[in-house]
Amino acid sequence: MSDEKTIICRCEEVSLKTINDTVYQYSCSSREVKLRTRAGMGYCGGRTCRHVIDTIVADLNQKVITDDIQLSYRPPVRPITFGALGGVYHENESC
Amino acid sequence: MRMRVVNHPVLGNLPERNRVTIYFNNQPFQAYEGDTIASAMMAEGIKTLRNHEESGNGRGIYCNIGHCFECRVQVGERKVVRACLTPVSEGMDIYSLSVFKKGSESHC
Amino acid sequence: MLNLLIIGAGPAGLKAAIAAAEQGLNVKVIDEFPKVGGRLLGQLHQEPNGEWWNGMEMGEKLHQKAIRAGVDIQCEVSVVDISQSVSGWTVYTSQGMIEARKLLLATGATETPIPIPGWTLPGVMSIGAAQVMGNVHRVKPGNTCVIIGANVLSMAIANELRLCGIKVKEIVLPAVGPISKDAGIPEKVLASLMKLTHLAPTVILRQAGKLGKFINPSFAIKYFPRRGIKLFGIPIRLKTAAVEIMGEDHVTGVQTVTISSDGKVIPGSEKVTEADFVCIAGGLAPMSELASIVGCSFKYVQELGGHVPVHNERMQTNVPNLFVAGNITGVESAKVAMAQGKVAGLAIASEWKGKRQEIELALTTAMEEVRKTRAEALIQFQPGISEARDTVYHQFTLDELRMKQEVSVS
Repeated sequence: MSDEKTIICRCEEVSLKTINDTVYQYSCSSREVKLRTRAGMGYCGGRTCRHVIDTIVADLNQKVITDDIQLSYRPPVRPITFGALGGVYHENESC
Repeated sequence: MRMRVVNHPVLGNLPERNRVTIYFNNQPFQAYEGDTIASAMMAEGIKTLRNHEESGNGRGIYCNIGHCFECRVQVGERKVVRACLTPVSEGMDIYSLSVFKKGSESHC
Repeated sequence: MLNLLIIGAGPAGLKAAIAAAEQGLNVKVIDEFPKVGGRLLGQLHQEPNGEWWNGMEMGEKLHQKAIRAGVDIQCEVSVVDISQSVSGWTVYTSQGMIEARKLLLATGATETPIPIPGWTLPGVMSIGAAQVMGNVHRVKPGNTCVIIGANVLSMAIANELRLCGIKVKEIVLPAVGPISKDAGIPEKVLASLMKLTHLAPTVILRQAGKLGKFINPSFAIKYFPRRGIKLFGIPIRLKTAAVEIMGEDHVTGVQTVTISSDGKVIPGSEKVTEADFVCIAGGLAPMSELASIVGCSFKYVQELGGHVPVHNERMQTNVPNLFVAGNITGVESAKVAMAQGKVAGLAIASEWKGKRQEIELALTTAMEEVRKTRAEALIQFQPGISEARDTVYHQFTLDELRMKQEVSVS
C-alpha cells in the first residue's frame, strides 16, 4: 500500500517499492539489488539499511540469511580525503 | 536554554559550562562547551540540518553516534563533518548542505 | 609500534585496555565519539535491588582507571581502513596511521531501523539517538514523543526520556510487514516481552513475566486492553500500529491504526497522535564492518543480532593477532561486554607473554565471569544467548581444524 512512500535507503532515497520490483523482475540477491538500485551504496556505506535490505530480499526470495555477508564492506569504511589516506592529516571527512 | 535538561531527578543538575557562540547559516546561536553541533542545534529547536542533495528533503540527526551520516554539515570553507560527532567551538561557522546545483561538478 | 590497539572506547574496549595494560602491554584506544564510554553513555536504569545503573558514571570510572594503568585514549578518530603485514597491523584513520602488533575490535553494535513512511523527516530518530541526546548531552529532542517498537530497550529508554521531562505519549508497534515481521504482531511481541521480563528493568514487567509462566501469550493478548497498559505513566499499546509519520518539514505526529492480536488492521480505526519527535526502536546488530574488511569469517546467529565474526571463548578470531569483544560478538548488556573485554585483554596479554601460567589462570576466571554475568544479566535482548554463543565457538573449532588440514595437505 505505502511501499512507494517507504524509503529504505535514506542516503539514496530508494523506496521499498523499487526494491520489491527489482527482486520480482530479476529474482536477485541483496548485492544485485544494491548494484541495480543504489540502495545501500550511499554516503553511510549501507550501515543504516543493510540489515533491512537483507531481510526484505531473503523474504521475497523465500531464503534464509546465510553466514556470508551479502552486502560486502569495502574500504574506505568512512568517507575520507585523499590526503588523509596518504598519511597526511586533513580535517575533512569528505571529498 | 529551552530544550536543556537543567535538572534531572537521577543525574542531578547540569554543571556550569562556558558559553560559546556558533553560527548556523550565518545566524548566531548560543551553545556550551561540550556540546556537539547536533546537541547545540537541537537545544535551540533546530531540527533540520541539511537537505537531501537530490530531492531537497530535510534531514536532521538520526543515529546521533556517527553511523548514519544524515547530520553532515559544512564547517568553515569546505570541511564536511558529522554534526553528532563534532564538538562546537567559539565562533564556529556551520552551514547546511543543500541540493546539488545542476551543472556544478562537486558538492564542496 | 604499539603492542595493542583497541578500536572502540566502550565497556569492552576500556576493560580490555585496563587488563592488557596491567600486564605491562603498551596499549592505545581510539573512538569516533568525542566522549569516552561508548554505549555506556546514556544508560540509566534501575536494578532489581532499586539501585540505579548509571552508565555515564561507570564509563568515567573505567576511563580514569585506564588512564592510571597507562592506556593512551584518543577520541574523535575514525577508522578508514586496516591492513595486515608480517610485522603487525596498520590502521588508517582520519588522524593518520597507527601501527600495532595486536588488534582488538570492540566497535559495538548499530541500531537496526524499521523504515516506515515519513521516517526521514527531521525529528525522527533512533531510540538510542534520543537516549544520548537526553542523558549525555542533556538536551530534549522535543517535548512530546511517540516510540515505535516495543522491546526491552525501548521500554527502558522511554522511562529515561520521561526522567528528562519528556512526555512519552505512547509506545506502539510498527505496522505488520516484511520488514517489521514479528515486531509488528502483538501476540509475538507480548510473547517475547513475557519471555524476557523476569529480567526486565521494571517491577511491572517482571510481574508480567511471572504471569507468563502460567499464561499462554496468545491467550493473554486477547485480554490485553486496546488502550494499552501503563508503565510509569507511559501507555504501552501493543494493539496499536504506526502506519505513517506525519509532517511537512518536520515531525508533527504519527498516524496509527488499531490492530488485532495477529496484526490485522481494524478498518476505520485511523488516528493521529501529535508529537514533536518520534523514536524508532528496531533493535541492535553487531557492527561487523571492520571485522569484514580484515577477512574474518562470519556466522549468522539471529539470537546474537546478526552476523558475528567467528571467535572462541578467549575472544580470538581466526585471523592471527585479531581479537573481538563486546557487542561486535553479539548483542548483550554492558556488563557482559565488560566481562568479555577483560577476557580479551588477558588473552592478548597471555599470547604476548607466551601463555604464562598466572595469566592463563586469571583468564580462566575471567571466562567464568562472562558466563556468570550472562546468566545474571538484567537486560537480555534475546533468549537462548548461551546456546547461540556455543554455536559460534563450535564454528571457530571447525574453522581451525579445516585450516590445519589445509596446511598439512599443502
